[in-house]
Amino acid sequence: MDSNDRRGAGRVTFSQSALVFAVLAPGGVFGALALLWLLGWTPPERVVSRITGLTFSAGVLAVASLIFRLASTRGTAVVVTFGNWFAVHEYRFPLVLVADRLSLPFLALTIVLSGLIGQFSATYLHREGGFFRFFLLLHLFSFGSLLAFAAGSFDLLAGGWELVGITSVLLIAFFHQRPAPVENALRVFGVYRACDIGLLVAVFAMHHWAGTASFAAGFPTLTSAQSTVVCLLLLLAAAGKAAQIPFSGWLPRAMEGPTPSSAIFYGAISIHAGAYLLLRAQPLLAHSVVSSVLVIGIGLATAIHGTMVGRASADAKTSLAYASLTQVGVVFVEIGLGWKWVAITHILGHATVRTLQFLRAPSMLHDYHRMHSAAGGELAQTGKHLEDLLPQGVQLWFYRWALDRGHLDTILDRWMLHPLMQLSGLFAKLDRMGLEDTARKPQEVAIALRNPAGEGGA
Amino acid sequence: MNLDNQSAQSRQDKLRQTIAHAAHLLPMQGPIGVFVHHNTLHAFQDRPFEHAVIEASHLFGAEPYMSEAAYRAELARSRIHLEDIDSVLESEPDATVFPGLTRRSLRRAMMTPGVREFDAATILWRSEQGDLAKDFRQAALRALFDVCLSRSVVLEEEPAPLRPVDEVIHPWLIRLCSVFLDQGMAYWPMPRRERGFYESVRTLLSQYGGVFPKYLSGLDEEFRRQEYFSFSSADAVLDYLDTQHFREAEWSDVLQAELLALPGWAGLMHRLEENPGLAPHESVPCSLMDFLAVRLTMTRVASRMGAREAAPQESPLKTQEKRRLSRAARVYDAARVVSLSAAEVARLSDADWSTFVNEVRTCNGMERRRIFHLAYERWHEREILRGLGSHRRYRGLSEHPGRPSAQLLFCLDEREESMRRALEEVDPEIETFSSAGYFGVAVDYQGIDDPEGAAFCPVVVKPRHAVVEQPKPEDHAVLESRRWRRRFLGLLMRNSFVSSRTLMRGWLSTTALGLLSAVPLAGNLLAPRRYAQLRDWLNKAFLPEPRTELALMRNTAPSQGAVTGLLVGFAPGEKTESVASVLGPAGLTRGFARIVAILGHGSTSLNNPHESAHDCGACGGRRGGPNARLFAAMANRPEVREGLRARGIDIPEDTWFIGGYHDTCSDDVELFDVDQVPAEHQTDLARIRESLDKASARNAQERARRFESCPTDAAPSAALRHVEERSEHLAQPRPEYGHCTNAVCIIGRRSLTRGLFLDRRAFLVSYDASQDQGNRSLSSLLAAVVPVCAGISLEYYFSFVDNDRYGCGTKLPHNVTGLVGVMDGHASDLRTGLPWQMVEIHEPVRILFVVETTPVRLDETIDSNASLKQLVENRWIRIATIDPSSGRVHVRRENGFEEFNRQLERMPVALTSAEWYSGKPQHLPMAWIPTTAEGRAG
Repeated sequence: MDSNDRRGAGRVTFSQSALVFAVLAPGGVFGALALLWLLGWTPPERVVSRITGLTFSAGVLAVASLIFRLASTRGTAVVVTFGNWFAVHEYRFPLVLVADRLSLPFLALTIVLSGLIGQFSATYLHREGGFFRFFLLLHLFSFGSLLAFAAGSFDLLAGGWELVGITSVLLIAFFHQRPAPVENALRVFGVYRACDIGLLVAVFAMHHWAGTASFAAGFPTLTSAQSTVVCLLLLLAAAGKAAQIPFSGWLPRAMEGPTPSSAIFYGAISIHAGAYLLLRAQPLLAHSVVSSVLVIGIGLATAIHGTMVGRASADAKTSLAYASLTQVGVVFVEIGLGWKWVAITHILGHATVRTLQFLRAPSMLHDYHRMHSAAGGELAQTGKHLEDLLPQGVQLWFYRWALDRGHLDTILDRWMLHPLMQLSGLFAKLDRMGLEDTARKPQEVAIALRNPAGEGGA
Repeated sequence: MNLDNQSAQSRQDKLRQTIAHAAHLLPMQGPIGVFVHHNTLHAFQDRPFEHAVIEASHLFGAEPYMSEAAYRAELARSRIHLEDIDSVLESEPDATVFPGLTRRSLRRAMMTPGVREFDAATILWRSEQGDLAKDFRQAALRALFDVCLSRSVVLEEEPAPLRPVDEVIHPWLIRLCSVFLDQGMAYWPMPRRERGFYESVRTLLSQYGGVFPKYLSGLDEEFRRQEYFSFSSADAVLDYLDTQHFREAEWSDVLQAELLALPGWAGLMHRLEENPGLAPHESVPCSLMDFLAVRLTMTRVASRMGAREAAPQESPLKTQEKRRLSRAARVYDAARVVSLSAAEVARLSDADWSTFVNEVRTCNGMERRRIFHLAYERWHEREILRGLGSHRRYRGLSEHPGRPSAQLLFCLDEREESMRRALEEVDPEIETFSSAGYFGVAVDYQGIDDPEGAAFCPVVVKPRHAVVEQPKPEDHAVLESRRWRRRFLGLLMRNSFVSSRTLMRGWLSTTALGLLSAVPLAGNLLAPRRYAQLRDWLNKAFLPEPRTELALMRNTAPSQGAVTGLLVGFAPGEKTESVASVLGPAGLTRGFARIVAILGHGSTSLNNPHESAHDCGACGGRRGGPNARLFAAMANRPEVREGLRARGIDIPEDTWFIGGYHDTCSDDVELFDVDQVPAEHQTDLARIRESLDKASARNAQERARRFESCPTDAAPSAALRHVEERSEHLAQPRPEYGHCTNAVCIIGRRSLTRGLFLDRRAFLVSYDASQDQGNRSLSSLLAAVVPVCAGISLEYYFSFVDNDRYGCGTKLPHNVTGLVGVMDGHASDLRTGLPWQMVEIHEPVRILFVVETTPVRLDETIDSNASLKQLVENRWIRIATIDPSSGRVHVRRENGFEEFNRQLERMPVALTSAEWYSGKPQHLPMAWIPTTAEGRAG
């Protein structure tokens, strides 16, 4: 890769600089604002929103010019290589940005929606204590997702991926003075960490088997078995981030943050990042029937799960969260079937619809009222066919199943989390025993030895 | 057997009574679509305010006043004055603590320079590294502390126990409540909910094959057991109380605690049980007993499964030691501020020491905050009374010379104060009046677009008349087409709403059409005002508006609607009665202008679940346009004029009434039935229209000074654009500040307040004592006005002092649930009260009523109304009078009225309101704005 470094030609094209600018600008803004803040200066709201507006407007222009350039020259990709970040023996961490036909739609989506969300939030969060923190995180998030979408290697993608994850968690815990947001954020963090192992191990495996995890110049060559393993690992990461079965339970919990962050994360960008990962791994996926079937299976199950649970949700944000989940499940099916362009179109459309719906979630009261009065006070009752179709016992069972969100969290809690906690409790106890023994002062040990029954304790 | 039955019956009765009693403590808020302001602590109204707030603070874990730090900040910026603290202390009994120290001087020192608050949780840290550690560097202070510590014992109440079971059962309970009460949000309604909460939940959860969280496993079995014995909900509650061995005497505490663990949901259940008609779309059979039965069954299973075992706690010895330390620190700090030395403290006899400790203890943080609060209110009271008194003395009650160019009747709402002032500034020949915004017409009104009628009157009034808006005969076809098109649009909306959420339809629609949402998304966010204009234009183009009239005539004998039992329309006598009930008390009985406009009000905003809280309180949380229109239509009827003449209200032939509507958010003013105005009134109409347009821009400018996001130097027209954008902005959490900052209600003639800058903080009620024989008008006015204004003021007070518990916190994480309320995030209690964005600039004072009458007359009136008397005597509101003839001011204190005899200086004068307020975002004192021609000359 570094041998035919395209930057080495000495000429940086306009497209290349546009790509670098679009990706790095939010990161730069984050860095600068964070630094100023650390130095003790919190910029006023007006400055923050002006900077945000400018950054994203410039980003939109940059991405638009990229699209225009690629379309007019019928090129396939713009690649920027910065060389390696570091190299240890065989391992190299290449810094490569790629804007191809897959990443460009995602880049455009991210930058446009982040800009609109920034515009929304400038008004929505006016006078809120965490105004500045929100915008810091918004910039970091868009930098993370742009990096993940423009990365030319899975190593770099993992970096962006983690930034998206951590900003997502911090925004769920935005109202950290109440316990519920913090608890739920911790839960989401746990799921993310558990699933991100898939991505990290997949990168490791690719390096191990193919010597590289870069896809900027062709995909790493792997045998079919190796592809399957890598795909399954990537699927784990993708399923976690996209809240697919069996991880779906975290999605409604993520609704603790301010409305605009719910919109951009769980309506638009973050929720589709898993789909992007799979789309990126499409060449591998095509080689592995097992993984393709599994992707389809998970997607289908999630779609059905989502649509059923969503039907039994009576609050605006949960019902939107499950509506998102349903469509992302369908996107997974499309990817598993290899319908790449259908999936991309679906993602773009879905992300836009959902962002608007999330932002308008507080209007649901009035929207419903308007529909109700427009229909002359009689809205056709929904869900009737479910009642007609299912026998009563099954209906009740099914309803309870939907109400408890497929029992997914309950099962996870009872048979995964709880035993795990007990195990860690046990380890903690063992650990303490060891520590206490070494930390005891010699006299105490002597006393303890003299009174083995323990009555001589402190 | 019979005996058993009887005792079971009496136990159930007892249980019902207990629950009914505990239910008083629950929030009164109904479904959020119609928001009615009320006293958050309505259950405590039978106790004095100062006691009630403390009791409630223990019960709800809420704050009774602002924080001590907040009061100290007010002290620092001279909003609280030392003389007021002194006068509050002087009005309360003094005592000797020990020779050389009185209670008053001790308290005075504890207020300023003031003592610090200490608690067990932070005391160790503070004594090791914090402010106490700093004190200890001075040997004298250290010695003082040591003496105090050596003489201290622990004497404190235990902190409230944790409720670990709640964490286990709430996720399930909240979800069940939300689907049970759902008004149409969920696609799949809860099966069998028509049988009530307990039965439907029992059937649902007792099905085999469920998976429950660890601490709830066995819940299905328990419900199956209850089903087997065919328990009623009362049986289930009694069963729980028995198995947990609670004696009847303990029931009330147990059930109260259970209800208050989720007050929002329990409160809504209770409201809907009392008044099922509040449910906006689907009425579900609610019962608090059902709620408790489900809750207690869950609690029982969870505690059986061990969820009661709380997390390991600190050793009680350690906790006790910390409490002793913090207690010693409090006494130490008090001793320090009254300059006692260690030796002096050590010399105190045991009796003196314990008196001292007791005095310090009773003057705890709550008590200091109470004193601060009273001082805080005193200053406010003084400013208001001084201003009113001075205006009355130096400006007199200038009667209007000649016939006014127009008269306008507004709602008493304090947001209309600036609008009236602006109108009078724009056209000094205009006269304004005000009364409760339903204008005496309590109706069940159905507009052409409404599927059914709704009550447009205060919540305490039950409408007896139904009025329907109809298209004019020639416009019937237009209405038909409008209906058809609206149905089509509604269907389209409904379909896109549902289909974007389902599997297959969602797939097709998001893939094929999804990107189209970019248009409203970008439009709404990048150019909200333009986009709203476009939307309006499209709406107008697509939905034709028929010209309409109100079906209000009823000349025959009472004909009642078959279903509703309401009288259809008004008979002539009833119309006369309605019109007279407003004009009489307001004193608008003579000197009518050629045109009289009546303006109802309401508020339009986008993306705002609390929108209705900005609407007209006197219309029961709805928009008062129809009432104004109805009033005007009635007052124009010849038979009504005739009836009025008989009652001494002589409306000349050439006076025309016109109804209108003022949007307090966008400051748009609409006049109704303009095409009906006779030709000879066209010039009057044009003049009033022009004045209204100018005034609403000025009003917008005055409002905009409070909004940080509006430039301070915005011209009226720019400010108008700014407020218009606010009402159309998807992201705007504070479209208007609503009743925020309200503090005063002045009941009297306009001449008492005309030209007085009241900063949109005063409710104004027109009342002419000289025309009121036997206080009849006053007593009806007070009965209608006081509960509404007090409710608003107290709701703002409590939502401000503890926004988390009494209010509903910040709007940003709110999540609309079941179309009945908002939660924080995906599963929380239903949040009641006002959001922070609505109250953030409020000044929490109890509302001060100033009535233009004599103390004797007012006392008589108040004494004749029990609920009013309660409010006044328990000091939930403050009362003052200003004498109609002499202008002398009296204030009501605990032991009756006393004269307010302060120096009355002349007030600052500003040529226009704008001159007074421009560039200043804070609360402003009163000023005199000359609005009459002679005033300008002088």
